Amino acid sequence: MPEIDAGDTAWVLMSAALVMLMTPGLALFYGGLVRRKNVLSTIMHSFFILGLVSVTWVLWGYTLAFGPDTGLGLIGGFEWVALEGVTGEPSDVYATTVPHLAFMAFQMMFAIITPALITGAFAERKRFKAFVLFAVAWSTLVYAPIAHWVWSPDGWLFGLGVLDFAGGTVVHLSSGVAALVAALFIGRRTGLIAPATEPHDVPMTVLGAGLLWFGWFGFNAGSALGANGVAANAFVTTNTAAAMAAITWVTLSWLHRGTPSVLGAALGAVAGLVAITPAAGFVTPAASILIGLGVGVACYGAAQLRLRARVDDALDVFAVHGVGGAFGALATGVFATTAVNAAGLDGLLAGNAGQLVTQLLGVAVVAAYSAAVTAGILFVINIAVPIRVTAPAEEAGLDLAQHGEIAYQP
Amino acid sequence: MVIAALICFGALVVAWIVAPDEARTTEHTTNALEPELAPIG
Repeated sequence: MPEIDAGDTAWVLMSAALVMLMTPGLALFYGGLVRRKNVLSTIMHSFFILGLVSVTWVLWGYTLAFGPDTGLGLIGGFEWVALEGVTGEPSDVYATTVPHLAFMAFQMMFAIITPALITGAFAERKRFKAFVLFAVAWSTLVYAPIAHWVWSPDGWLFGLGVLDFAGGTVVHLSSGVAALVAALFIGRRTGLIAPATEPHDVPMTVLGAGLLWFGWFGFNAGSALGANGVAANAFVTTNTAAAMAAITWVTLSWLHRGTPSVLGAALGAVAGLVAITPAAGFVTPAASILIGLGVGVACYGAAQLRLRARVDDALDVFAVHGVGGAFGALATGVFATTAVNAAGLDGLLAGNAGQLVTQLLGVAVVAAYSAAVTAGILFVINIAVPIRVTAPAEEAGLDLAQHGEIAYQP
Repeated sequence: MVIAALICFGALVVAWIVAPDEARTTEHTTNALEPELAPIG
């Protein structure tokens, strides 16, 4: 019978709380980027998901993602529906030194923030009712299966050896690709000052980025599922990659546009945090500098391409989370080393070129599945409830049209 | 208890589906406030 370790339990519970804070942080990050007539609706997306997915995760999300496998490595069964059998005793499969409920709560916070990330793509024009139905469907049909594939010991991608320490594919790639599909489906915003809207409150966005950075220590270092050396390594690599990507993005914008962008510092930090997520517990601090540099360049380039493209991924979710998540997953296949984490695998530079191929397979599968099922969900919901608000509502702003409230008094 | 919890959540989903949508709110609220908000955005 596994025994509970007090230090591990404290760290996992604390990490769950840190990751919880990321979703309100994301609300501020996104809220600052939209026009002032849509700030409440944008914040509401993240805050409502905090409530919504907390409930669905307890009822059926956790058992689908982490419950005993149904046989093919595709999805968990219903043995743990409404957390039946998930108790204060450790699981004999997951995080065996902490209460099973603590592991469940930690994973719940990941399930919450993932669909919230997508909301940046359809900001300023999505009908709230359609958003609610989308969030329930997406977290059930996309997030839960992918989490099972990658993180359950019985998951088929786990069995193939795909490495994803804290969610580069499960969280960021899946949501980033879904965001691109959602942006294509819903269409461009109307009334924008070309090529993109002005963020209405950059300090709000920077505050949100700061909260995300803080919470990410729980996201990544907490994914060690214990108070140990792997957690410490993940903590350091997380901070280093975020820092490197932030200063890289600022430098690029300085050279490209002539000014060191404050917004660029915030976006760059988040891109670095995204990219180190799958790698944090498998790579060295030196590698995290290279990962931060690389993702800063990749995501800055993707954001510039988005400005020229006709797709209106309003808040660059694909450029940061899709590109950053894929970049991080592939970088894991390059830089991973068992010298950092004996429970991991070696990557290309440690003599295992096959790991990079495995990571590429994981990226392709997760991206394709997320794209296909997201499109299906949007198509079905759009039949029952139009995804997009009416033109007058969009012009008035969603705060007023959808929520009957305004953020700032005239 | 599990069944009761699922039914309660299902009731919320039904409520979301039948709840008023933007049209009523837009008509009601925008008419009152739009003059002041028109320059925004």
